[in-house]
Amino acid sequence: MVHTAPDEHLTRLNSKEDFLRLQKQSIDRWENLWEGNATVISVGVGSSSVAKGALEILDLVRAEMADTAVVREVSGNGAFWMEPWIEIKRPGAMPVLYGPVTEADVPGVLAGARDDLAVGTRSEHAEGNIPPLTEHPFFKHQVQLLTRNAGVIEPDSIEDAIARGAYHGYFKVLFEMSQEEAIAEVTTANVRGRGGGGFPAGIKWESGRKAKASPKFVVCNSHEGEPNVYKDRHLHEADPHRILEGILIACIACGADRGYNYIGGEYPLGIKRFRKAVADAERLGLIGKNVLGSGKDVAFRVRTGGGAYICGEASALMYSIMGVRGQPRTKPPRSVEEGIWKRPTVANNTETLANIPDIIVNGGEWYASLGTEKSKGTKLMTIQGPSKRHGVVEVEMGMTMGQLFNEVFGGMPDGYTYKGVQTGGVSAGPVTPAHFDIPLDFDSLTPLNGMLGSGGFVNFDESVCVVDFARYMTAFSRYESCSKCVPCRLGNPALVEILDRIRFGRGSLEDLALIRRTSKHIIELSLCGLGQVAPVPLIGLLDTYEEEFRRHIVDGVCPTGTCPISARQPALTAAD
Amino acid sequence: MAQSEQTHAVRPVPAPFTGRQEIDLDVVREMMSHFKYDDFEEAQELILAALQEVNEHYGWVSPEAAAVVAEHLGTSTTRVFALLSFYADFRTEPRGHHHLLVCHGVSCYVMGSQKLVQALRDDYGIEDGDTTPDEQLSVQVVNGCLGVCDRSPVVKIDDEFVGHVTPESLNDLLQRAIVGREAMLAQEETNGSHSTR
Repeated sequence: MVHTAPDEHLTRLNSKEDFLRLQKQSIDRWENLWEGNATVISVGVGSSSVAKGALEILDLVRAEMADTAVVREVSGNGAFWMEPWIEIKRPGAMPVLYGPVTEADVPGVLAGARDDLAVGTRSEHAEGNIPPLTEHPFFKHQVQLLTRNAGVIEPDSIEDAIARGAYHGYFKVLFEMSQEEAIAEVTTANVRGRGGGGFPAGIKWESGRKAKASPKFVVCNSHEGEPNVYKDRHLHEADPHRILEGILIACIACGADRGYNYIGGEYPLGIKRFRKAVADAERLGLIGKNVLGSGKDVAFRVRTGGGAYICGEASALMYSIMGVRGQPRTKPPRSVEEGIWKRPTVANNTETLANIPDIIVNGGEWYASLGTEKSKGTKLMTIQGPSKRHGVVEVEMGMTMGQLFNEVFGGMPDGYTYKGVQTGGVSAGPVTPAHFDIPLDFDSLTPLNGMLGSGGFVNFDESVCVVDFARYMTAFSRYESCSKCVPCRLGNPALVEILDRIRFGRGSLEDLALIRRTSKHIIELSLCGLGQVAPVPLIGLLDTYEEEFRRHIVDGVCPTGTCPISARQPALTAAD
Repeated sequence: MAQSEQTHAVRPVPAPFTGRQEIDLDVVREMMSHFKYDDFEEAQELILAALQEVNEHYGWVSPEAAAVVAEHLGTSTTRVFALLSFYADFRTEPRGHHHLLVCHGVSCYVMGSQKLVQALRDDYGIEDGDTTPDEQLSVQVVNGCLGVCDRSPVVKIDDEFVGHVTPESLNDLLQRAIVGREAMLAQEETNGSHSTR
């Protein structure tokens, strides 16, 4: 039984009845797959598991089982610690996930002889001694809305996606709701921008809809250049149709003529899967002229980034789409007034737009019941640095940091102790274990210099020198500065110089005041978001670990032995 | 640590060579013929994508290739070069026979990627973007993230990810890659095959 690309037989849908027919077909096909007598084997393939040999394992499984079972290439499920994994559903049994699996383990796993590798079942029920995956601490505390298809559907199959509810919200917006009603749901849901800003999406959409000019555009910002965030990559690899549907709904609700998705060049697999999703949607007539006979037209373009962090800033991103250097400009005019090609443009983050289909289907009230008073819904979180379990998780807003770090991610591995956790990518300060009772939402971390931002956290332990760490992050901002405005262009190199002075043992106590003064200038005078937050991690580290900075200066000692000042190790200079 | 040692033992480096390549302008012209546009605005939106395709195929973009791109999209070479020099993914010089990406994301930093960068500087005399004088190795330090954070620090040599790298294992890896390629070339010579690499 060779599993061919399932959607090759699909043809253009010309009316709403065509769509409903396809929806029913897809659901039947999906139910037959799982309730029938076939053995279904799925291998989780995402960038993180490819690096660990998931493709080789998929090939092995195909070679051995292609004649007797349905073999599927699904995406990763966010749990990096169990990759690469194989899921096997035998007739009459629950789907069981095995991982991490090596190539040598594959025959044993396929023969059903390796229950020692079983992690859990993808079901509410146990299978023999194997408990449901949802009882594992990594999954127990998650609320999976955006990621509920991750590791479940084949990302390349539009039928799988439709069977799991994709384009139902789009259908509602096309035929059952007015623009005002759709935007009202988003406003009621109070979904706030997931890219870091936290600006309510509904307000943005409303001004986009009211903008008089034509054409208008919607841009999805899928450029997460931060060196420790990969939530959008996970979404693109796991469920590209969800993102596409979100963008298309935004296009209809705002009356936009064309949707864009600007994807960072860092994730080729995500780009490949998203392009496939767009091609399929176009072939089915979900994109194009007279969508499903509704009389509405939507065009779509995919653009990819070239590895410039600054292009995550909305105005820089638009310049990058227009084929020039991605350098931000002053606002006003805001992008909803003058964006791409000087047309009104609504720009949202990927994760924000991925929330939209569920909001349209289930209503804004439902969404607003999730999360905290001011931060609604769920949030994707990622962890890096030393940790027992790595991965992408989706949790309800308001979970405490301690629960996230210690229960979901399992805390520090043996032999490591927490020194702190860096928050908000490279745009915010660290928190210490003393603050682990603080809830995770958009506002609670702000008094601590911390930021929820894009939900990327980095554990660091006692072996990390905070001065060197601060230098690393400041050097990152120096490298990524677009060089347009002076405070950022000259301020960040100046900060790196001061930090180097301290690292080499030539610092003075006045340097600490100088750091604060220079940082204040950069924060207050820079043009764009990158410059305005560039010194924040440094200030956060300085506030939290001032004693360690002082030890470098006063005692001439780097407590961890990282900095050149320490004789215990040869001089290290951080890369630019 | 045990995992990385196992990876080393099981799979010999090198993986397929990405190789050092001269740019064939006819191939670039052929690539460009797939970039169709209706108006000047759309042509401009395609510059970045066109350059990415050349860069992906050859590992770098030469001034001549940039001129072909500019001509096809009705813009100036200067404009094209403005993009090449701004976006970090582009190289304007050919790569070495082996191309090494060193992940320098926060996770890899915390786990010691800086020592790898330093080792490359000390042992091979090369920094981010450089190629060794014997053209064996080029290096790119990735300011973003290669996405294998649970095995940090991570490097990618040619098509192969290697995790939990130390300066010693990095040196070992590079030496085996270089020796492996020479052995393969010698093998090809005795077999009489004509490889352009």
